[in-house]
Amino acid sequence: MADMQVDVAIIGAGPAGVAAGIGAREAGAEDVLVLERDWDLGGILQQCIHPGFGLHAFKEELTGPEYMHRWIERAHKAGVAFLTNSMVFKMESDGSLWVMNPEKGVFHVTAKATVLAMGCRERPLGAINVPGSRPSGIFTAGTAQRFVNMEGYMPGHRTVILGSGDIGLIMARRLVWEGARVEGVFELMPWAGGLRRNIAQCLNDYGIPFYLSQTVIQVHGRDRLEGVTVAGVDEKRRPVAGTERYIACDCLLLAVGLIPENELSRMAGVDIHAATGGPVLNEFYQTSRPSIFAAGNVVIVYDLADWVSQEGVAAGRNAALYAAGILEKPVRRIEVRGGRNVRLFSPQNIVGSGDVTVYFRVLRPIEKRCRIFAEPGLFERRQRYVRPGEMNEIHLKGAALQALPETVTTITLDAEEV
Amino acid sequence: MTDKTFDIVIVGAGIVGATLARELSAYSLRVAVIDKASDIPSGASRANSAMIHAGYDDQPGTIKADFCPIGNRLYHELAAPLDFTLKECGSYVCGFDDDDRIHLEKLLEQGRANRVPGLEIISGETLRRREPYASGDITHALRAPTGAVINNFEAVLAFIDNAQQNGVELFLETELKDLLLSADGAEVVGVATNRGRLFAPVVVNAAGVYSDLVARMAGDDSFFIRPTRGEYYIMDKRIGSLVNSFFFACPTPKGKGITVAPTAENNLLIGPTSIVQPGRDDTSTTADGLAEVIDGARRLIPSIPLNMAITAFSGLRANPDTKDFIVNVLERPLGFVNAAGIKSPGFTSAPAIACHLVELMKDRLAKRISFIPDPTFIPERKHTPRFEMLSLEEKRRLAEADPRYAQIVCRCEMVTEGQIVEAITRGARTVAAVKIWTRAGAGRCQGGFCGPRVVDILARELGVSCEEITRHGGHSRYLVGKTKDYWFRGEN
Amino acid sequence: MEERVLSMICVSCPVGCDLRVRVQGKKVLDVEGHSCPRGIDFAEAEVANPTRVFATTVRVSGGKLPVCPVRSRQAVPKERLFDISKEVARLVVPAPVDIGQVILPDVCGTGVDIVATRDLKAKEESA
Ligand SMILES: Cc1cc2nc3c(=O)[nH]c(=O)nc-3n(C[C@H](O)[C@H](O)[C@H](O)COP(=O)(O)OP(=O)(O)OC[C@H]3O[C@@H](n4cnc5c(N)ncnc54)[C@H](O)[C@@H]3O)c2cc1C
Ligand SMILES: Cc1cc2nc3c(=O)[nH]c(=O)nc-3n(C[C@H](O)[C@H](O)[C@H](O)COP(=O)(O)OP(=O)(O)OC[C@H]3O[C@@H](n4cnc5c(N)ncnc54)[C@H](O)[C@@H]3O)c2cc1C
Ligand code: SF4
Repeated sequence: MADMQVDVAIIGAGPAGVAAGIGAREAGAEDVLVLERDWDLGGILQQCIHPGFGLHAFKEELTGPEYMHRWIERAHKAGVAFLTNSMVFKMESDGSLWVMNPEKGVFHVTAKATVLAMGCRERPLGAINVPGSRPSGIFTAGTAQRFVNMEGYMPGHRTVILGSGDIGLIMARRLVWEGARVEGVFELMPWAGGLRRNIAQCLNDYGIPFYLSQTVIQVHGRDRLEGVTVAGVDEKRRPVAGTERYIACDCLLLAVGLIPENELSRMAGVDIHAATGGPVLNEFYQTSRPSIFAAGNVVIVYDLADWVSQEGVAAGRNAALYAAGILEKPVRRIEVRGGRNVRLFSPQNIVGSGDVTVYFRVLRPIEKRCRIFAEPGLFERRQRYVRPGEMNEIHLKGAALQALPETVTTITLDAEEV
Repeated sequence: MTDKTFDIVIVGAGIVGATLARELSAYSLRVAVIDKASDIPSGASRANSAMIHAGYDDQPGTIKADFCPIGNRLYHELAAPLDFTLKECGSYVCGFDDDDRIHLEKLLEQGRANRVPGLEIISGETLRRREPYASGDITHALRAPTGAVINNFEAVLAFIDNAQQNGVELFLETELKDLLLSADGAEVVGVATNRGRLFAPVVVNAAGVYSDLVARMAGDDSFFIRPTRGEYYIMDKRIGSLVNSFFFACPTPKGKGITVAPTAENNLLIGPTSIVQPGRDDTSTTADGLAEVIDGARRLIPSIPLNMAITAFSGLRANPDTKDFIVNVLERPLGFVNAAGIKSPGFTSAPAIACHLVELMKDRLAKRISFIPDPTFIPERKHTPRFEMLSLEEKRRLAEADPRYAQIVCRCEMVTEGQIVEAITRGARTVAAVKIWTRAGAGRCQGGFCGPRVVDILARELGVSCEEITRHGGHSRYLVGKTKDYWFRGEN
Repeated sequence: MEERVLSMICVSCPVGCDLRVRVQGKKVLDVEGHSCPRGIDFAEAEVANPTRVFATTVRVSGGKLPVCPVRSRQAVPKERLFDISKEVARLVVPAPVDIGQVILPDVCGTGVDIVATRDLKAKEESA
């Protein structure tokens, strides 16, 4: 196949990539191409068949496929071009891409600006160091979700879920709805990883036990999984002797975290942030390589797809402005820092003159009145709680940032009790 | 399987059985290899350090000391024609004090006696100039330039595959249950397996950690095996470049032998522990073992990050109480051959053991089988293409010739559908076998992404339903049924 | 009738407010802890007749995928969820399927339709 030249190339057709396509077209880019390795558009939301999407974007609660259907229709109307079955396997430092597609072979795509929207992947068992054997029947929750919701297969009869991320909670209910048993959900931390509504409607509704500060310490079985040993953990998250118990099960699902998918970004020499695992960005969604932009779970793992779409539109818009040579030039550089109770945040740098939204997650929950704020004196909002599973937004006014004395080169975010 | 007749039956398709089968396939002999596993390699040859040792480690005069340097040379010669990955990385044995220095001198001397080329002792500073992440506490190191790392999966497959091309028959999921002897017990006549009998005048015991039990069937109780577990972590490729060479430490009273090594695919491998255990199948890992691995590895390379582990595994050494390889032809029952207790450096030594065994058999078993060179012997074979390693131009060409090579299935290791289909054509039947052939699922997501797709392709190519696909044979079914049917599984 | 206080988590939106609901029989006297009026609606429904939106898949013949995602168009009574799941499990729908297509009208007499939540094309003829 002939090599291609476009204004904006986008990698991935999940919520971030589809929205970026729309944003880029709306901002005037002529040729906007989204490359997707799957045979269909929609990204991970193809397999998220439960309702829980669209409250922000459409003011109604949709399933993942319905939510994406609307965005994809919008993208088609806006004139975004899509190529499916097209895996980007190499990215050069200028943002140009090497793609393969069974019909078109291997080809090269050059673009004036590129948007990374590759999403994230799940942390596997090896990454969390559970000792024992390696029988069949151990899946990440997302893999099991694909098997059940897209391929029509059951991963097990009796399932234990390790980790209380949303995907694990959703899968607990999903398996029960298909007639299987879920023996319990075990969470290492003293608080839940997923949304409270999912604890309520996925576990409590069906009497599935939920254990905090407990973990799986051993896997048993040679061929098929036969059981797991679980134990309580102390404040340092070490197993407490004497608390071990054996649970018979033939399936273990892992919902122990998501990691932004940044192999291509690394290849292109994009700076990766140690805490988020995603590219270091400024408020224009621009990476350390000026022609490369990024949005969605490839940057920082979001809990709501609606926000991903919103960020995608903005990233696509900025990429189009860059492609046209009219993206605002940096006026100064302010570094964003996280305070004591901040785990992750994005963007990390502020360079322009406009308003900026910074997203961040806390390390520890505060289940009482608290404030989230940005020092020095840029933003404060009272909240009823902050939770590690949910993203917080901080809004910074461009004028206030401009008014900061030259000597101020960093601002700090945090959340604390009041 | 109905009864069949061969000249030689090899029990065990580990590296020892594989190299021997290939060596024998150069002769006009009917050779069968049986293994109880559903995919190979499955024993020690599957889970080890994959080091092709230089050969300084073994006391001159032992069988090991003879075979190891020869094996090393043979792997270097065979890597190209048999198309397996061998990475010449060299090795260092690191010393931390004066006692260690003495130990290194001893190894140097031993190595020279074993005719190992290029050995030298270097200072800690020189080491750190070449290997910037090496611990500042290392004072001296023994450099062995001929040490190499191998893709042990590919190597076993390569030897077996080439043997099969040359007429050797491989029977998987076929377990030796008993040895068939003549009425007077003086001669071997074949083997009884779970899938029927194979008649042959010569039976080779290459059963690894089970080799003492197999020898027992022939009445040989001259040795027994102490299964000794070694646990490892595999770390992400992203930190593969922390070391360029294989790192050993001088043994200490506290622990011995945790190494830090690059793998043939540029991951980082750390381990193994050494724990004697009763079970011959239990290759689980333990919290204590893995903690020891980390401590030991950080002694050599302090900056190894724990959060870069992608998986942990363990292997069982077939350590014989006699401390040396057991390679012999029994007088009674005649026709029984031991390649048993092949402990470390058994992987390295295997091709040399195979050559030696053929000579031994020619000499001692001439009356039972005749070794006539086969003029049609093909000494080379090709592995399935390694898509990730190809240049852009080669990728382009392959993808144009066959669109299945433009369909990525495993994104972490960049494995295409074309490779997977070819592996299945060449005998892969399980998810594990596909991984062994192609590395699909061996990357950082450990099959999270490609698992469903590999199951799908296996089912399609084998013409069965997805539910029948196993992870690694036996009862290791990957899925337990279809949704929807699941509600009615009790009925009818 | 005796007064009781129930605690529940509102699932109407991702905030997940902790509600304390004072009830007498099936009558809600008072709700605390909600951040918006939907919390009160939720509490009332939860006490009188708890309902949930149900989402699953249905078997498809000749489709690009063997199953297609479906949902109940509105919430259905919670206690009927398993009956509904079994009912849907019996169906096989021919491809192609269009998003919004009614797969099963008035499922289990609840008055609620089961509808497809994606387009699913027919499998292409293999070349
Ligand atoms: C299993 C799961 C369940 C979730 N449930 C909910 C929920 O209930 N409610 C909610 O609001 N949010 C939920 N989320 C979060 C939300 O779905 C995500 O935040 C959102 O999907 C992220 O969108 P994205 O576009 O960044 O990534 P994705 O949706 O993951 O899309 C990335 C796309 O990029 C493609 N891609 C990646 N690499 C390449 C490449 N090299 N070449 C070509 N294409 C490539 C992928 O195939 C994929 O289509 C869930 C997330 C997951 C993972
Ligand atoms: C932790 C560890 C690290 C090591 N590191 C190195 C190293 O770095 N370098 C090196 O050179 N060597 C190393 N070794 C040693 C090397 O791995 C072994 O010496 C070598 O793999 C032995 O090969 P084998 O063919 O004898 O045995 P195996 O590979 O164990 O094969 C034996 C086969 O016999 C089969 N079998 C057993 N019983 C029966 C039966 N009844 N019927 C049918 N089939 C049967 C088994 O299924 C198995 O496939 C290491 C070993 C371990 C465990
Ligand atoms: S009460 Fe309102 S804000 Fe609170 S969870 Fe219910 S719907 Fe959301």
